[in-house]
Amino acid sequence: MNITEKKINMNKTIILILALILLFILLPRFISGYYVRIFTAIFMYATIAQGFNLMSGYMGYLPFGNVMFFGIGAYVTAIFMGKGFSFVCALLLAALAAVLTSIILGFPVLRLRGHYFAIATIGMNGAIMSVVQNTTEITGGAMGTTLPIIPRAPGIVYNYFYLAMFTLMVVTTMVMYLVIHSKFGYAVRSIKANEEAANSMGINTTYTKITAWAITALFTSIAGALYGYWMSFIAPEEVFDVMISVNTIVMMLIGGAGTILGPIIGAFIIETVSEFAWSGFMEYHLAALGIATIIIVFFVPRGVIGSLGSMIRNKKMALPKKVGESNG
Amino acid sequence: MGLQFFINAILLGGLYALMGLGFSLQWGISGIINLAYGAMVVLGSYLSLVLFNTLRIDPFISLIFTGTILFFLGAFVYRFSLQPLLKGGIVFTLIITFAIRLIIENIILLVWSADYRTIRVGYAGSSIQAFNTFIPLTKFLTFIIAGILVYLTYLFMMNTKIGKGIQAVALDKEGALAVGVDDQRMYMINFAVGTALAGITGSLWASIYSFSPHVIGVIIAKVFIIAILGGLGNIWGAAAGGILLGFAETSGATLLGSQWQEAIGLVIMVMVLLFRPHGLIGRKFFG
Repeated sequence: MNITEKKINMNKTIILILALILLFILLPRFISGYYVRIFTAIFMYATIAQGFNLMSGYMGYLPFGNVMFFGIGAYVTAIFMGKGFSFVCALLLAALAAVLTSIILGFPVLRLRGHYFAIATIGMNGAIMSVVQNTTEITGGAMGTTLPIIPRAPGIVYNYFYLAMFTLMVVTTMVMYLVIHSKFGYAVRSIKANEEAANSMGINTTYTKITAWAITALFTSIAGALYGYWMSFIAPEEVFDVMISVNTIVMMLIGGAGTILGPIIGAFIIETVSEFAWSGFMEYHLAALGIATIIIVFFVPRGVIGSLGSMIRNKKMALPKKVGESNG
Repeated sequence: MGLQFFINAILLGGLYALMGLGFSLQWGISGIINLAYGAMVVLGSYLSLVLFNTLRIDPFISLIFTGTILFFLGAFVYRFSLQPLLKGGIVFTLIITFAIRLIIENIILLVWSADYRTIRVGYAGSSIQAFNTFIPLTKFLTFIIAGILVYLTYLFMMNTKIGKGIQAVALDKEGALAVGVDDQRMYMINFAVGTALAGITGSLWASIYSFSPHVIGVIIAKVFIIAILGGLGNIWGAAAGGILLGFAETSGATLLGSQWQEAIGLVIMVMVLLFRPHGLIGRKFFG
């Protein structure tokens, strides 16, 4: 493939992406409120999954307790809006709180690897949830807390949140793309390949790891803040639920870990499956979700993008071989 | 405080020791973080409930049956869902075991609903009184049985051919393969033993506490803490971790109030991870 061909391909991709963005902006006019809600959830999960993708798909660390940033985002927003701050103000404070938490916790925790890192983050998530549950005067405790409701018709409000989540997902994806294709992105990927070697080549691995985690925390907390305002009621067991982490990890895996569009595709597939499980098998929805997850992990272990890529590559490889055989 | 406090902590710690042991073996030797462990424990409790309600079998006797059933369940789960995906690494085992947890939880919800259940045996109210202390009989029996089972697990690992095979695989997989140990079979048996211990813990739990699907999350948090405190795959480490968690929770509940119990355990766990990643006992494998 020569350079001009590559450029044309790239232009095609950009036009396709712009068309898709336009389609999704206009979509709420044509679908019912139920689907608007599902799409908003898909965009939210895709955003969180992008964070997992940077940490796990590209860097090889599995931050199982990443949902803590989601919870922090939702709760800090709720607390400051309760004090009379505007949503944007509260959202910025929430993002700041999450980023600071990630940096402070990152210094000790990111020294751990593999299982140990995953478990330490789960432990921290549990500890933060416990604090939120027990400081009732500030957070409202285990019973949860409310956020102000926007005084408009519900349909309009849901369209707002649809657009806000969509924008967040697009911005997150673009930032991830830029991050991965920058010098910093190469440092991130070198950590996955071999951390000691990266270190000895002069990459400041501590700085790289903490920055990557802070980027993840930033977007996850904004998703949490939007979620809190969208639902206008949050409870600790809901926004610090490890289930959110598990869901997004499955999304990342199914879409294809370590690819830019993988998490988005995964979010679409899993949310659709889980909605189907909810409406189709009300009483069995947990088991249906579990079985679907096992089946997907068994048959698409490299993710949709990875499997499609290898299928196309196999076809391309197979064709010349046949020609060669007929010639020889 | 005083002697009564000490006894409460030890009695709680005994059950925790057994509870953490199975999880620690599965993680440390088979290399699987079993997120379905809590569900397996609670499944053991419900199986005991069924045996108690239909055949009037005491939970202290039905633990033989729950242990056996869960042993085969564990072997099945390992062979058909975990073993084919071991190459995928930690992410896959976490996802699969979480999916299994969802399935077991759903079965429990469908069959027994989300209500809290209890097993009240005839002697549930009786207790031993000595030296101004008060020891409930069921808790005392639980402690004794948990101690015996931890010791039996130790004997199994040390003295039987299969146990020695499991140890060999845990210490050096290539070396074990070279001398003709079937590593996957050892991993499977080890995983099944861990699951059986989960079921037995469930029976013991049912004889003391009430249980419902909500308990699953509580148990999974505790076994993580116990396994990490003791060091993975270490039998006496898990026992020590269990007793230590018993003390930490009992003293935390006395000093700060019981609502901080979970946070204390988790903070201790993160501290141990940061400063002594091989656990407080400090040796990687069997001691």
